[in-house]
Amino acid sequence: MGASHTRTEPNEFQDLMDKTGFSVEQIKNLRKRFLQLSGNEETISRENLDSIPALANNPLKKEIINAIFDKRNQHESEVGSFQEIGFEQFLMVMSHFRPPTLKTTPEEKEALRKEKLRFLFNMHDTDNDGTITLDEYRKVVEDLLSKSGAIEPATAKGIADAAMLEVASTNVPHMAPDEFYEGITFEHFEQILKGLEMETRMHIRFLDVGTATMRCGRSTS
Amino acid sequence: MDDLWPVAVGVFQAWMFVVVFFIMLPAMCGLSLGVTSVYIQILVKILEWATLRIQRGRQEQPSVPVPLPNGIIERAGGSMEEEMAPAGAEFSLSDALFFYKEGVESIVDDQVTQRFSSEELASWNLLTRTNHNFRYISLRLTVIWGLGVCVRYGVLFPLRITLTVIGLSWLVIGTTLVGFLPESSVKTWLSELVHVTCYRICARGLSATVHYHNRDNRPQKGGICVSNHTTPIDVVILANDGCYAMVGQVHGGLMGVLQRSMVRSCPHVWFERSEMRDRHAVTNRLRAHVAAKNKLPILIFPEGTCINNTSVMMFKKGSFEIGGTIHPVAIKYDPRFGDAFWNSSKYNMVSYLLRMMTSWAIVVNVWYLPPMTIQEGEDAAQFANRVKSAVAHRGGLLDLDWDGGLKRGKVKDSLKEEQQKKYSSIITGQSDHDSSSLTT
Repeated sequence: MGASHTRTEPNEFQDLMDKTGFSVEQIKNLRKRFLQLSGNEETISRENLDSIPALANNPLKKEIINAIFDKRNQHESEVGSFQEIGFEQFLMVMSHFRPPTLKTTPEEKEALRKEKLRFLFNMHDTDNDGTITLDEYRKVVEDLLSKSGAIEPATAKGIADAAMLEVASTNVPHMAPDEFYEGITFEHFEQILKGLEMETRMHIRFLDVGTATMRCGRSTS
Repeated sequence: MDDLWPVAVGVFQAWMFVVVFFIMLPAMCGLSLGVTSVYIQILVKILEWATLRIQRGRQEQPSVPVPLPNGIIERAGGSMEEEMAPAGAEFSLSDALFFYKEGVESIVDDQVTQRFSSEELASWNLLTRTNHNFRYISLRLTVIWGLGVCVRYGVLFPLRITLTVIGLSWLVIGTTLVGFLPESSVKTWLSELVHVTCYRICARGLSATVHYHNRDNRPQKGGICVSNHTTPIDVVILANDGCYAMVGQVHGGLMGVLQRSMVRSCPHVWFERSEMRDRHAVTNRLRAHVAAKNKLPILIFPEGTCINNTSVMMFKKGSFEIGGTIHPVAIKYDPRFGDAFWNSSKYNMVSYLLRMMTSWAIVVNVWYLPPMTIQEGEDAAQFANRVKSAVAHRGGLLDLDWDGGLKRGKVKDSLKEEQQKKYSSIITGQSDHDSSSLTT
């Protein structure tokens, strides 16, 4: 540790800011968190994320970790998943959860919404064929519900099937009884979640450092 | 060379004279010459000045970041029930959203990982080690910091080392001597005297100022004293005000010597490594100790590991199964004067002690809480939680349910089961009236 001047840093983060839309302060905070998670290495692997206690509690932990390492969420055309990710990729994934600011135009808001929906869709569509099949859907339901016996496997299957049926009837209203519904495409997905307030359900309020009042000693919280 | 030798001897004699008469003897008698309180007051004034300078400096240089003590995201704080209920329908795709958001939130910031590293202060206390974002702010500040380094390393540190060495050797010699006496009330009184004086010297060796509150609630013989754990120095802090029977593993080396000599004068409970695995053996030995009503109260730290003094983590129920009266104690270190937390993965014991001895001072508040016993219909885990809440409330610490063992291990799968069960009951509760649609 020692005295250092801060002239160089804003340029470093400039293109990160442009790509992801975070402010300099938010990027710095996330960088600290990244280093904390990675144990001061330059990349994070799945094991690093596995050791977060609050995440281990989450029934959809596997899906979430897969989404972080998914190449499709990097706004490039690659598919597959990474073994480890660097800070830039970490930021790209986190940028999906940014809320719109007051300055966002309606077109930007629409684009943001579509991005968030795409992120969600990718989380369900694990084989990347463009549709969420019944099997993939069932998988998510099973993960959410308990294996302990509060819900039997048959009931869980029933819940998934019923939900799938409802989606089918909403989107393909005149389906003949012997027609096979392949799965939910991205357009159908958008349709189902049309009414949903994506802006509130899928954003994380990253704190920006404002003018905090300082006192000598710990700030009382 | 010959001329220097008498000079060196003279300096050494003067040094020892100062140490013994002005610090050690008053400490042993429990008196204070008032030097430490004056020192603390001067320190507070200097730190306040430094903070104002930093504030001014921050206004002039807005690129200097401010630490966020509560984490880097603002949590909406909705529970599972609140988020699901508006949907009204049965399981829908959007329910998964709640878990996704929670999951990503915990990747960005979680309550547990931050407890195992030192607390970041909102202001700077002129120790480079606590300011993670040390920036050059002003010449005056840097000069004061430099002076501080000289004072701490040049004056305070040798003084403290001398005192600690004296204190520890006094402990070993004194307890061994007392151990030769036959069992009698004189022996007990002498051993208490030796222990207390030694700990007082060690406390001076750390420049520790302890404020005890509610001393009428002090642990009595035959009871169990539990407290939150931040550092091995907790033992010195508590033992300054009363005699306790220590519980711990048998170590080798210097610790082993201390342990063996301490046990000669009054009964402590030291476990072999193999015994520690057998929980019943441990509980039985402790129970036997407590049952003998004339033995000193046992000192236990139920968290099992060092936490950074911003929160209290889960109290392991093993200590609460022994029976007897529990005397809870809350310990809170003032972070302005030095960071007392021992991050055992980052520093070993020796470098930790060196850091302690080169801090400004250690200022502690100790609150003795009224004794608690297990109530009807309560099991050990619930009792442990009750005691933990009382300790956290008194000490102004955050009350967390997480296990301190997470510092080194992973979360058990059973916790994930809990969340799944909760969600399932929400779904089945809503789907109850619509059960006909579930049959395929």
